[in-house]
Amino acid sequence: MNRISRRTYFVFVLALILLVGVGAFTVKYFLHCGQWATYPRNELLFAKEITTDFQMFDRDGVLLYRSAEKQYAEDAYLRKAVLHLTGDKPRNIPSVALDYYRDNMVGYNPITGLHYSDSGTGVEYLTVSADAQTTALSKLDGRRGCVGVYNYKTGEILCAVSSSTFDPCDPPSNETIETSDYYNGVYTNRFFSRSYTPGSIFKLVTATAVIENISGYGNKTWHCSGSLDISGGTVTCSSAHGDLTLEQALAKSCNCAFAQMALDLGADVLEDYAKQAGIVDSIFVDGYETKKGNFDLSGASSWDVAWAGIGQGSGKHNDMINPCQYMTFMGAIANGGRAAKPYLVSQVENDGSVTYTASTKNLSKAIEETTAKKLKKMMRNNTLTMYGAITVPDVCAKSGTAEVSMDGSVANTATFTGFIDNDTYPLAFIVIVEEGGSGSQAAAPIANDVLWACMNAMDNE
Amino acid sequence: MRPIFLAKASELFQFPQSRADFGVIITEITRYLFPILAILILVRCIRSLLSFRKEPEIWGWLNVNDETLLPVTHWENLIGTHKRCDIVIDDPDIRKNHAVLTRYDDGSWTISDIAGKGGVYVNGKRTSISAVDYEDEISLNGISIRLEPVTQEDRRYGMLERTKAGKLVYPAPTLIFLTIFQILAGLQLIFQIEKDYMSLVALSFGFLIVAQWALFTGLKAMRRSGFEIETIAFFLSTLGLSVIGSGDPGELMKAIISILLGIIIYLLVGWSLRDLERAKKIRYVAAIFGVVMLLSTLVLGTEVKGAKNWIYIGGISLQPSEITKLCFIFVGAATMDRMVTKRNLILFIAYSAVICGCLALMSDFGTALIFFVSFLVIAFLRSGSFATLALSLTATGFAGSVALSLKPYIKNRFKVWGHVWENIGNNGHQQVSAMMCIASGGLFGLGVGCGEMKHVFAGDCDLVFAFVSEEWGLIIGLLSVVSIAIICLFVVRSSGVARSSFYTIGACAAATILLMQTVLNVFGTVDFLPLTGVTFPFVSNGGSSMLSSWGLLAFIKAADTRQNASFAVRLSMEGEASE
Repeated sequence: MNRISRRTYFVFVLALILLVGVGAFTVKYFLHCGQWATYPRNELLFAKEITTDFQMFDRDGVLLYRSAEKQYAEDAYLRKAVLHLTGDKPRNIPSVALDYYRDNMVGYNPITGLHYSDSGTGVEYLTVSADAQTTALSKLDGRRGCVGVYNYKTGEILCAVSSSTFDPCDPPSNETIETSDYYNGVYTNRFFSRSYTPGSIFKLVTATAVIENISGYGNKTWHCSGSLDISGGTVTCSSAHGDLTLEQALAKSCNCAFAQMALDLGADVLEDYAKQAGIVDSIFVDGYETKKGNFDLSGASSWDVAWAGIGQGSGKHNDMINPCQYMTFMGAIANGGRAAKPYLVSQVENDGSVTYTASTKNLSKAIEETTAKKLKKMMRNNTLTMYGAITVPDVCAKSGTAEVSMDGSVANTATFTGFIDNDTYPLAFIVIVEEGGSGSQAAAPIANDVLWACMNAMDNE
Repeated sequence: MRPIFLAKASELFQFPQSRADFGVIITEITRYLFPILAILILVRCIRSLLSFRKEPEIWGWLNVNDETLLPVTHWENLIGTHKRCDIVIDDPDIRKNHAVLTRYDDGSWTISDIAGKGGVYVNGKRTSISAVDYEDEISLNGISIRLEPVTQEDRRYGMLERTKAGKLVYPAPTLIFLTIFQILAGLQLIFQIEKDYMSLVALSFGFLIVAQWALFTGLKAMRRSGFEIETIAFFLSTLGLSVIGSGDPGELMKAIISILLGIIIYLLVGWSLRDLERAKKIRYVAAIFGVVMLLSTLVLGTEVKGAKNWIYIGGISLQPSEITKLCFIFVGAATMDRMVTKRNLILFIAYSAVICGCLALMSDFGTALIFFVSFLVIAFLRSGSFATLALSLTATGFAGSVALSLKPYIKNRFKVWGHVWENIGNNGHQQVSAMMCIASGGLFGLGVGCGEMKHVFAGDCDLVFAFVSEEWGLIIGLLSVVSIAIICLFVVRSSGVARSSFYTIGACAAATILLMQTVLNVFGTVDFLPLTGVTFPFVSNGGSSMLSSWGLLAFIKAADTRQNASFAVRLSMEGEASE
């Protein structure tokens, strides 16, 4: 008998499986119940006539979208400028930020469920400025790409534009979308959900590593003769830059100098710094999960390492960054090493009562404070010496011109990123123009105008 | 809590104008009261069931070589040198597992040689099995042992030491709490459903209350005071009754009759188990009956949603596989003297194969899985061998994959498993609705009769966990699962002081079936497992399921050897009294 009673632990294990299972479900419940209960197919929403009228406004109270009758902003151009935030009617572009706070909009909570929910309106205020959005879109001028601006001290995103775009009230035909170059990838929010080859704006990561790893870098110079032969290939510059300090190399965006730095640092160090900058990580922004970038030098040749330090690369060693994430790296440089975590939704209301308010959270440290200070000075020098288009005061920046095809069949991506270094307008930004050509020429002017629009929006408060 | 809650609360202070207003007020109060009552009921049951002293019953003494006196604490006792034997005699002449000493209902004893090497002598005569009287000279390879009866003194001492069921926590107050719970549930339902059904609801809840008190007093009259397991069953049945009242009040009468029949089956099975010899004889009848049930379904059955597991006779629908569960346990349980022979296990394996074959033909995948797991448990209890289990698992794995590839209906179920939200349009619809409803209900529920789960196909049956969670709240939903777990943990705990392996195996198999049904029902509902269409014991709407759930309970009750606990167990002195 003893032996048999010992064997009953089999039943004990089964009971344990049952209890652990329902425990796991309970955890899942608390994580997802808001989404489940407010899923539009929930019959109870209709039975109790619980609101499905969700409204989305910009930071100044301009209506962007109303789910009842699928109403969009009055102004057609604004509709295009915020399409990737509001979504379109057939949900080819989902209304991510609205879906994410559906539970707060109907007054749902995990404890009492939908029991106390009533008909009423759900309101969501975004942090973006309608004005900055339309400015960005108009400056992109029919080119594909994205523009992002955010307050690196609070986390508010003031501008998040993705192009190509269309008017959700007058969408192009499916055929047009499939055949037109402009509409390539139109359903993707390029700011959150795409990654790009950064080009020279990545040199900021390499520069960070140089500052911290090459002693006496301030007095050291790197020589550029216009091209540099490395086993496996050649790195070229537009012209022979001669002997350059780090600051000069960054301002001139000298490929040969940065190729040498990358080789001096080595693959492992570069990978560490790319990781610290957060490039390979994803950030969660009110329902959006930013696309992870890529920086992988395992098994890379010297030539690959050199190009990776410049912000290029090919195949699996190709550098890739997500615009939103890289913008937060700019914020970190501006803000002494740590930037605020970006957010898109400032407040959610159910029937007049506030059910969600955003709060500032910090991202993990992306760069050492002293390094950030030094880099900031160099980026300020960039603006003063290289970017004449910038009229906004205190801008520190870096431009890039990323090659996206080996044979030059596709024009280069213009990139421009940086921040305003003052406390009144603590804004970090990134502009990416696909097939835009030179970063300083194509992307910098866009950044300039959008920053002015954002500063205006901040002044209006 | 939010301002909305305050607004609602202030509405309550207005004098109610209509029946609906009353309903709202009652819901408002009861939805917070129900979890409190339920926790109170279950905690009392847990304390009583899981904290009793595991003091063994003593059935006799074994005098070894006139030197030592060893207690005989079970009806079946393995004698040998191995440390896990029931009676350990450490002597080089004794084998690891030497003999089994068995006691019978009437107080008589036998000893059987299980080593099979001819090492057992009774009064000088070599034997493989022989009756033993007190004072008979037994010799195990030269070691002389003698069986001595328990004295009055031993008995008195034993009864004092052993925890009397219902002494630690009185069962009557628990039942009063349950009754309050039931009255409130019935009241709430009355105000929520259509007027035509009001009296029917009142009647059926009233009947349930009367039935449980009648059973309680009846057992009390038999001097049996353990009522925790039954209380849990009635608690779950209350949830089940309210589910039917909310979703399909026209079926309330049928539900009440099912509960009544369930209790009768519970008493019948319990009575048949009470006498081990009777139980052993019933096995053969049960074996045949179980297969006949399944075969008749194959011939007369009707196919519903891909599975052919229903019989309709004169307006009554029946799921015979439910009854087969009870038969299966009768066949699977065995006393120890029989267990050691391989032939018995092989017969049982063959029987299981026949059952599973029938279920496969019926495409009743969920039920087949339940039988299979309880087969594993029985096989493991009997053999203790993981090799047997591994073999069974492999064989079934092959059979299962063939079944999956053949039956498109099962295949579809597996296809959406884990991806129900992407398959809302087709096979994922039920589980998605279930999760939406669970979330709608929150922790405290929308109120009995206020949910949407009733509009979902099989919402009151295969997905009843979501039904209960939506209307009663997730807390009660989880407590219903905990209830089943409590019953099973009690089975594990009480197995140490079991009288016969027949009862231990029976109780474990019954517990496994209850557990597996709950696992498949709950995990299927929330998309942790594919939805297999299995009922939640006592809660799901289904007469046959209710009957078998109560029958299973009898097996568990038969292993409850706490002092004066179970009507399915004879009082310690009863057997001897007739001598």
